[in-house]
Amino acid sequence: MYEQNNSLNIIDCHCHIASEEHTPRSFIEGSVANMVAALSAQGVRITKEKLTTVFLSKMQDPLCDGLVAEMDAAGISKSILLIPDFTYALKDSILTIEESFQRHREVLLRHPQRFEVFGGVDPRWGKDGLALFERSLAGYGFRGFKAYPPCGYSPSDPALFPFYELCAHYQVPVLLHIGPTSPVLDFTVSSPFLLDEAARLFPSVNFILAHGAVNFVEECVMMCRFRPNVYLDISGYQNTLGYDPSAGAVRNIVSLGINHKVLFGTDFPVFRLQGEQEDFLAVLTGENGALAQLNDREKALVLSHNVERLIERSVAVVA
Amino acid sequence: MEIDAKFDEKIMALIAEAVSGKFRKTKITGATHLQKELGMDSIGMLSLIFRFEELFGLDIAQLGIDINVAKLKTVDDLLAAAHQIIGKAAVAGG
Repeated sequence: MYEQNNSLNIIDCHCHIASEEHTPRSFIEGSVANMVAALSAQGVRITKEKLTTVFLSKMQDPLCDGLVAEMDAAGISKSILLIPDFTYALKDSILTIEESFQRHREVLLRHPQRFEVFGGVDPRWGKDGLALFERSLAGYGFRGFKAYPPCGYSPSDPALFPFYELCAHYQVPVLLHIGPTSPVLDFTVSSPFLLDEAARLFPSVNFILAHGAVNFVEECVMMCRFRPNVYLDISGYQNTLGYDPSAGAVRNIVSLGINHKVLFGTDFPVFRLQGEQEDFLAVLTGENGALAQLNDREKALVLSHNVERLIERSVAVVA
Repeated sequence: MEIDAKFDEKIMALIAEAVSGKFRKTKITGATHLQKELGMDSIGMLSLIFRFEELFGLDIAQLGIDINVAKLKTVDDLLAAAHQIIGKAAVAGG
């Protein structure tokens, strides 16, 4: 059982189960293709197959025991597991979306109090998908909706409105991917401005722009500042540490007067070749870390209180 | 395969080669932190590993050696891992 070993309560609002079961091979190979391009340009002799093997070696934690160990080492009390539904857009998905929901439910029950789950369903699955999402809130103990627009739909697509109506009913938030992703998907629907119509039509639903500290930053900040129900998470900042180990992207986002809208997140396991959860947290909370200039109240907002506010409203069942 | 007197120098040279941009000016010692001081991200770490394999004619995965890249924080960690890999390769090669 986790015992908090410091004064900060920390909730990671953006994680995934590290398993190929939930992430299609084509998605991974697309991401690997970008790495091969970068490495080849440096004169490194590498094949896509070999790099895929390396990448997959970090995706062997289907029950999240490894993630819980990393959370303990980092002092993270809870993480939110997100289920992006790739099963409609990418046909090489191993599990159906319903099976994926079941696996996440098992993890939720295996590690009491350590996780929340936001389930995602591609709106093109129609009534069955909507019923699955409602079941996840009413029966599985899930606490939010995960939208992945690069699968081929706008976040303001009317097909999503029934999902947002359920979110309003159960008072749970929506977290949506913003910005680029695996090149096998569509980048053109990843702009935060595409959310604007839905955010206006569903004022009682809170929306979280994932990766808002590193993708479309100006637009994300504008949405957070002027739409009361729009937030952003900082996950993906690890991508910038190669040229700025001080996490300037996070330092910037927490200096703009919107700290009541900024959520800590890591996007585990995406950066597992680069470090562990405690390394990524140290960059933020260390003596000269990216959050060093904030007072205790603001730090608490970013590290836990903001996301707590969003999920505490939920009237979904407890797992 | 044996570890000769210049082994650590070769590894240090590999590290220096993988460092880019403003971090090239950083003096590399055993205690140097790979991410904080040398800006090593995922691509940097991978480039280092594959160059290491090429230099010593190894395939770490085929040798069945499980290296947790995320645990390699400093240059000393990297040197220790390199010694470990070469040691196991020597055993495997008889």
